[in-house]
Amino acid sequence: MGSHVSKELKKGSADLLILALVEDRPRHGYEIGRLIGERSKGALSYHVASLYPTLYRLEDRGLIEGRWVEKAGQRRRRYYRLTAAGRIRLREERSIWQQFFVALDRVASLG
Amino acid sequence: MTNWPEYIRHRLASARRVADDDVILEWAQHAEAAAAAARADGSDAAAADAQARALVDDWCANAAGVALAKRARRPDAIPAPPAASGRWVGIGQDARYGLRRLARQPGFALVATLLIAIGVGATTTLSSLTYDVLLKPLPFPADRLIRLAEHREGETHSFPNIVTNGTYVSWSKAPTTIEALAAWNTGTSTMTVRGDAHRVRVASATASLFAVVPARPVAGRLFTAGEELPGANHVIVLGKGAAAQVASSSADAVGVTVDLDGTPYRVIGVVDEASTFPAGDTSAWIPLNVPAVVSPDGRSRSVSLTSGVARLKPGATPQQAAAEGSARAQAAPDLGMVGMAVFGTTNKPTLTATRYLDSMTADVRPALLVMVAAVLLLFGVAIANVAGMQLARMTSRRREVAIRSALGASPGRLARQMLIENLMLGAAGGAAGWLLSVALHQLLPRLLPASFPRLDGFRADWHVLLIALLSATGASVIFGVVPAIMARRQNLVAALVEDSQAPAGGGSRTRIGRLRVGILTGQVAVAALLLTGASLFGRSFLALLGADRGYDPHNLATVTLPMPDRLYTGQRRAQTLDRIVDRLTHAPGVAAAAATNVTPLARGDFMMGFPLPAGPGRSEPVAAHAIGRLVSPGYFTAMGMRVVLGRGFGDTDSPTSARTLVVNETFAKRYLSATPVGTSLGVTYDSTDHRPALIVGVIADAHEQGVTDPPQPELYFDYQQTVAGMTISTPVIVARTSGDPSLLLPVIARYAQDAEPGLAVDSSMTMQDRVLASLAQPRLYALLFSTFAGFALLVAATGLFGVLSYSVAQRAREIGVRTALGARPRDVVALVVRQAFGVSVIGTAIGLVAAFALVTLIGTMLYGVAARDVRTFVMVPAVILAIAAIACYGPARRAAAIDPLTALKISQ
Repeated sequence: MGSHVSKELKKGSADLLILALVEDRPRHGYEIGRLIGERSKGALSYHVASLYPTLYRLEDRGLIEGRWVEKAGQRRRRYYRLTAAGRIRLREERSIWQQFFVALDRVASLG
Repeated sequence: MTNWPEYIRHRLASARRVADDDVILEWAQHAEAAAAAARADGSDAAAADAQARALVDDWCANAAGVALAKRARRPDAIPAPPAASGRWVGIGQDARYGLRRLARQPGFALVATLLIAIGVGATTTLSSLTYDVLLKPLPFPADRLIRLAEHREGETHSFPNIVTNGTYVSWSKAPTTIEALAAWNTGTSTMTVRGDAHRVRVASATASLFAVVPARPVAGRLFTAGEELPGANHVIVLGKGAAAQVASSSADAVGVTVDLDGTPYRVIGVVDEASTFPAGDTSAWIPLNVPAVVSPDGRSRSVSLTSGVARLKPGATPQQAAAEGSARAQAAPDLGMVGMAVFGTTNKPTLTATRYLDSMTADVRPALLVMVAAVLLLFGVAIANVAGMQLARMTSRRREVAIRSALGASPGRLARQMLIENLMLGAAGGAAGWLLSVALHQLLPRLLPASFPRLDGFRADWHVLLIALLSATGASVIFGVVPAIMARRQNLVAALVEDSQAPAGGGSRTRIGRLRVGILTGQVAVAALLLTGASLFGRSFLALLGADRGYDPHNLATVTLPMPDRLYTGQRRAQTLDRIVDRLTHAPGVAAAAATNVTPLARGDFMMGFPLPAGPGRSEPVAAHAIGRLVSPGYFTAMGMRVVLGRGFGDTDSPTSARTLVVNETFAKRYLSATPVGTSLGVTYDSTDHRPALIVGVIADAHEQGVTDPPQPELYFDYQQTVAGMTISTPVIVARTSGDPSLLLPVIARYAQDAEPGLAVDSSMTMQDRVLASLAQPRLYALLFSTFAGFALLVAATGLFGVLSYSVAQRAREIGVRTALGARPRDVVALVVRQAFGVSVIGTAIGLVAAFALVTLIGTMLYGVAARDVRTFVMVPAVILAIAAIACYGPARRAAAIDPLTALKISQ
């Protein structure tokens, strides 16, 4: 039971993380992986390990979409951007997390 | 070097998966880049490839359930997006997020908004008041305008800001430092137009006023010097408002005749009253004749007192004008005995000149500046408190901030989010503060004494809104910056991994904790400073209220009965008054009743000057000066005045008996021998009655005006003994009651009606209300400072409570350990109390040192209490420590109740 919850939580947080990273602008897979590693100082390496499967799953669910883009002086790369559905989903995910933060706040202020 | 597409195909094949070329290309690019990055970090080629291969293996392993083949493919080459300019992205999102956070902590949002509102409201109102009173330009050209004031060495009766006719007449002729000189007086009159009566404020002014303070008629003309002279036609200049009551247009008003207090005046011009001197509530101007000191026939001398204003010549200074004016004033004919009567001295006058705006506000400037300083301190306390609350929230937000950082929020973004949250708080507080300020703008003119200058036009205009917005924004940036800086410095990983409990040693050992304690100390200091001010002003006010005035203002009803000369002779007045007083004396609940020409604290004294021949205790004849009062026999009893020697007036004093007089102590001391009773004086009230008067009694000095004004020599006449009767047209009935004196006021009005149909009452008040009205200014200072101090104390107390509660919660484990090791509840309580008192004692000490240095600034505003009043400086720390004790009661009890087992478990 406990491991199930934590797996769900991880999956949820991986989704949220990726959606958040492509919120402001499209990014390619390597950039996303690098940002996850950088920003969590390696603490979230398990997300990188399932990076493409997660990206494809999110794309299959219509939350992000990938396109090959050719930029001057660079080779083709596949960029992922947030869809309208993804934006809605991100907002929902955020509010769920925010409730979680508030719960943490409460626990903390009780402590 | 690994051939990445080949390696990936191979790995997928072994996992029995087929993938699109796109997928293989994408993974290959990533793996290649990852291997390159690893090499760049210093790995050797083999290790770098191994690392990248592990990544590909992970993807293959985690791809169960995800389609890798026949994936939908979208057209290529959407143009690469420009790098988003991060600065403005997500402002709306931050705002929504901030709103949600505030909505979740409504208590905090409400308290913070209220604090900012009170700070902004008070600051805005006071700065608006200060601007309006001290700085706002006058509505007429005032740059070279000076106000004149004449004083005499040794004068016993000082009139603020007057010039005498001698000075005016003498200096008006060819002045050198000033362009022109004008005299004016203001009063209230009844203007009757076609049967409609209006009360209007009338300025009697010399025609030169319109040259000294340039004025322009909107219709008709202004009056000329020729029209000042006695015997000239009565002409009047109206303000536009008054003109509208006379005719449909200003032009039509010119030529109309209006009735002013029974005298017809022809309207010759209309001016804009808002910009015509003295530009306040004045709505009509009539010519003023300033007579020469010596009458044209050379037989009598007269003194008239007027306000004086002059326009400096370009380049001349007020000091030069004062020097010239003094010389001219001293060259004027001697005022003789009338001068003695008015000023109590025959010394020559000196003149002072003050810039007009400064002279208008001189009385209130120090108080206003002290109030502004107090309000700024108050604002500081309010902002500091919001900052303290934000810091407290910061500590419980650390985990949230850490996770947001991990999710990609940059430190700048986080700081911006906090700043936006604070700006929203500031906007809410600023809006509420503006509303408060609008309300205060309405309320303040009613609280301020009637004599407070320049309150007309005091309203909450757009400047006020601007100040409110600016101060609120400034405040929110200040209380937002500290937490934002704290957030930037936060160590992300430490916050994520850290135990939620602070290390043993308590809240004051963390940086945020120390800052909160520092803020709190400052708040206690400000509270101590303001409390000192409140105590001094409060004690000063009480001293003024309770001062021995020589009469007893309690249980005393006073009613003025206007009996104009055209309807009443002195004798008829006296008879009417006697009938009312008689009936009152027998009314239930009335201990004593009497009539007088004027009550204490009212204006309307008449001054007397007369020669006293040499006699016992006086080798030389002297010129005497006294204030004369006309009273009925019961006056001293009704007023509660003490007879020091002899007796007051009684039934034996009648028009036919020997004339009797009562004097006050100052008169007896200054002019009479050691045994004044029985002395005969040649002074007379009626010029027709030359019988000498016998002094039958001496009464204790009374402070007829303010308690700080020195008592004047006074002579009391019994009007029943004088031939002329009550010659003053506005006599006052006074009645001492056994109960609430205000209940008697309508009774007196009814008795007056019964005695003389049509006799209306005016200025019907209890004497205590007259005293309170005269103390409006000190009362306001006491009230404002008490409010400020109360607010500062409340804020400091809640701040202390918050910090202590937080600290107890943070130190739960430490306290648990101490208890487990044998600390008794009282040791634990001592721990909390020590922290509370440390902050309070240091804060109070700082506040008191500041107060000790600053109170000298308000020394001149105090009465009956020294600026460095010992009782105040003892009381203030006592009050603050008592409040600190109350604030730490709850946290101390909670600390003592901590169960060591639970406390230690929490932190596992």
